[in-house]
Amino acid sequence: MLAPVLQVLQFALLIAGAVALLEGWLHYHFTRHEKAWFLPVGVLGTVTLVLAGAGALAGGSVEPARLLSLGLGTVAAECAVALFFKHVVRGRHSLPFMLLAPAALGLGLLIAYPLVFEVYLAFHDLKLTTIMAWSRTGELPFVGLKHFGKVFTSSPLSEVSFWQLLLRTVWWTFVNVFFHVAGGFVMALLLNSVTRFKGVYRMLLIVPWAMPQVVAVLAMRGEFHSQYGFVNVMLTKLASAAPFLGDLGVGPVQWLGQHPFLTCTIINVWLGIPFMAVVILGGLQSISRHYYDAASIDGASAFQQFRMITLPLIRPVLAPAVTLGTVWTFNNINVIYLVTGQAGGTEDADILVSALYKAAFAFYRYSYSAAFALIVFLLLFTFSMVWLKWSKGSESLYD
Amino acid sequence: MIETPRSRDILKAHHRREALKTLLVHGALILACGVCVYPLLRILAVSLRPGDRIISTDLAIIPQGATWISYIRVFGETNFLFWLWNSLVITVATSVVGVALASTAAYAFSRFRFPGQKLGLSFLLGTQMLPAGMLILPLFLMIMRLKLMNTYLGMVIAYSVSSLPFSIWILKGYYDTIPRSLEEAALVDGTSVFGAFYRIVLPLSTPALAIAFLFNFTQAWNEYLVARVILTDSFKYTWTLGLFDLQGQYLTQWGMFAAASLLVTMPVMAVFLYSSKWLLTGMTLGGVKG
Repeated sequence: MLAPVLQVLQFALLIAGAVALLEGWLHYHFTRHEKAWFLPVGVLGTVTLVLAGAGALAGGSVEPARLLSLGLGTVAAECAVALFFKHVVRGRHSLPFMLLAPAALGLGLLIAYPLVFEVYLAFHDLKLTTIMAWSRTGELPFVGLKHFGKVFTSSPLSEVSFWQLLLRTVWWTFVNVFFHVAGGFVMALLLNSVTRFKGVYRMLLIVPWAMPQVVAVLAMRGEFHSQYGFVNVMLTKLASAAPFLGDLGVGPVQWLGQHPFLTCTIINVWLGIPFMAVVILGGLQSISRHYYDAASIDGASAFQQFRMITLPLIRPVLAPAVTLGTVWTFNNINVIYLVTGQAGGTEDADILVSALYKAAFAFYRYSYSAAFALIVFLLLFTFSMVWLKWSKGSESLYD
Repeated sequence: MIETPRSRDILKAHHRREALKTLLVHGALILACGVCVYPLLRILAVSLRPGDRIISTDLAIIPQGATWISYIRVFGETNFLFWLWNSLVITVATSVVGVALASTAAYAFSRFRFPGQKLGLSFLLGTQMLPAGMLILPLFLMIMRLKLMNTYLGMVIAYSVSSLPFSIWILKGYYDTIPRSLEEAALVDGTSVFGAFYRIVLPLSTPALAIAFLFNFTQAWNEYLVARVILTDSFKYTWTLGLFDLQGQYLTQWGMFAAASLLVTMPVMAVFLYSSKWLLTGMTLGGVKG
């Protein structure tokens, strides 16, 4: 049990060291830019740091030619940065940048760099047969736009095509978000109209959201088992208790085998309603009672009150929640992957993101899935931008 | 109002209608609660079933001949304790790093005006629009090349910034509500700007820091997809991987799967139910303000 503790300590040291180095570097550039020795010391220090870092990462075995080009590159970059600090920045904004530096470093190394790496991968050819050579030499054959073309012409998995996946994703997102919001509204209105046991109901209703998703989805998958799951047991009982229903076709269904997409949708609707219900309930509670009193004196029906008072007043709460919910639903690999399993499982429930994950890690088509990911990213990004512009959902986020 | 027999009748009818409505609403809510909670009760039922009756169409919550045998078997026959320990180490390290990085960055966004501020906030928002799984591939390849597969270090690196954008948003929202005059007073009294942040703003933000920590914690604790890729050794599994493997293979392991699920779910759910109100406030802060 000592090894993990050491590993965690090592990690803490690594993080602290990186942050300290970065802050020191920034501090030097912000505060010492007026000294005569600013440029030479800066260049010398930075080059030493970069070369030491590269040596440590490569385990001390870097070719001299590479070392030289890395050193010269660093000198040029550091000169540019130092002059920038000296003549443009001149010590301004030092504090916010130093506060931001650790997070920026983390986001840069673990989000921005991987994105760049993903673009690199998409234009090169990394698959199961080239990965060994790549991990030795770090070089990959350049293939240009080949993978982008293949995304549209060949299946990301073994049968289903990109366009099918796209259609299914749109349908999946729409159906789920629709039922989340509709169900959430019903739950919230019901909850808002009771006074007794409100806390108890609220607590029980958010159980699906509170459970770890892995447990919730796996448990629900068990309930859809063709023989022992709750759903089919109930259907069988129903059909035998009321034979006329059995004649109408009510009976056990092969949920996982024949209707995997429907099963995933039901599970995800079940999972997502509580979040929307709680968000909407929060919104409902912030609407003053007086509006409704005034409206009912004027003779407005319950439906009119809902349409003219509740809906417009709940919009500022609902708009960001729907935006978030849409992106989350679009991005939901968990439910589909956990229900349909890994490679060899059915493809009839896959949406874009789950196919993306399977293409990379069940079919080992790395470069292909990188190109696929970039295309999906462009789709999602375009959609989000249009939606945010249209719904003005992001306005309140910026002040 | 003058009491007449007629007005009393109207009032009575009204009360009766209201009572019926309340009854219907409560009925609907109880039904909804049942749908929400029932799968959890079913896990409990399966976990209590004796070995020869694990697979059955029985719907009773407390099955006939209920035993604790599945719970004992989980500890004896699987690496459950290893999985829990691994999850705990990875999750705590991740959350501490995440909150530490977010707390200072959010302060910069909240209190200063600097070039690139709006761009930075947009970048944070933009990261939420990356398709899930898009970053897993490059992270996996990076971790493989750094020879960090099957290590805590690799997992923490992969997790550490995934909740950072969201934490920064939450904390920035909270810092915005703390009056600046408090820091100005401290500055007049002679602390540095960083001292004002460290001694005044941070202690006042304990609730928001707790929310951010909790969010980081639950995200990492419940994560499955990244762990699946980076951890291949059963002793290094997090509990999500272990549970999936228990449930995936044979029906006979349902009992153990159910017992393990319940053991993991209960503490997480307790914390979540306790804190959900604050978590939600943090999430919708931006929206409510406008």
